[in-house]
Amino acid sequence: MTPWFSTLSEFFAMSGYGKYVWPSFVLGFGAVLLNAWLASRALAEARAQARRRLEMNP
Amino acid sequence: MATWTWFHRLASPPHVYAFAQRWTRWFGGFAAVAMIVALVGGLVLAPPDYQQKDAFRMVYVHAPTAWLSLMIYTTMAVAAAVALIWRMKVAHAAAAACAPVGAWFTVVALGTGMLWGKPMWGAYWVWDPRLTSELILLFLYLGYMGLRAGIEDPSKADRASAVLAVVGVVNVPIIKYSVEWWNSLHQTPTVMQLGKPKMDFDMLWPLLLMFLAFALYFIAVLLTRLRAELLRRERNASWVREVVT
Repeated sequence: MTPWFSTLSEFFAMSGYGKYVWPSFVLGFGAVLLNAWLASRALAEARAQARRRLEMNP
Repeated sequence: MATWTWFHRLASPPHVYAFAQRWTRWFGGFAAVAMIVALVGGLVLAPPDYQQKDAFRMVYVHAPTAWLSLMIYTTMAVAAAVALIWRMKVAHAAAAACAPVGAWFTVVALGTGMLWGKPMWGAYWVWDPRLTSELILLFLYLGYMGLRAGIEDPSKADRASAVLAVVGVVNVPIIKYSVEWWNSLHQTPTVMQLGKPKMDFDMLWPLLLMFLAFALYFIAVLLTRLRAELLRRERNASWVREVVT
């Protein structure tokens, strides 16, 4: 359980592949966060819409 | 008949809604923890590959998202088939809930693949069987969503899009086996094969954990989107009053 990299700059460099590695992680986990947010927004909107309908015709 | 009760419950929107409401946070919570642990394992603890050096770490985002893009499509096609065969509304809702998530992760699989292809193959894109069939998967998702959006009558949209989803599932094994059937630049599977995986354990456990994390994550997102779909579809049902007030 020891980190492979001894310095932080080595970690960011990713043995020279940093410019490919980091964007791919940002894209992947950005999509993870985005989809979680989109799903909860869809639910909140559907709930609000259902509530409005009930208020209009109780 | 007791064995069929679960099936009937699965067909009942209020039951499914209540189930989703109860379990989403658990799936989401475990997914978040597993993802963070797997990220640390993959980015920091795993040793670099002897050929690819640290570029191989892209596997921890590329392989799980590519796998998810196929798993979501399969889920969508199964839900669509169930919906067509048993005329089950909940299954139509589930299939519709899958599509945008699947499309997103297909984009991610293609994007992370391009970022990996550039340093390893020298090009972001090649018209290779694996890449081309994955691109077709994206078009299937987009076609499915476009078809739903283009048909005004909701039940017609459900049926037409379900047929497309079921027919399109032939592309899933094509993607999966493309690297074996044709000469491909893309490597053959490292983990998902019978017998021993060709990977060191220190590299392997973060990857397996990441697969699990993405599966749990997808369940959480699907259940959330399914609730939204059910509320929209069942807006005149009495159970909706109880869950939104």
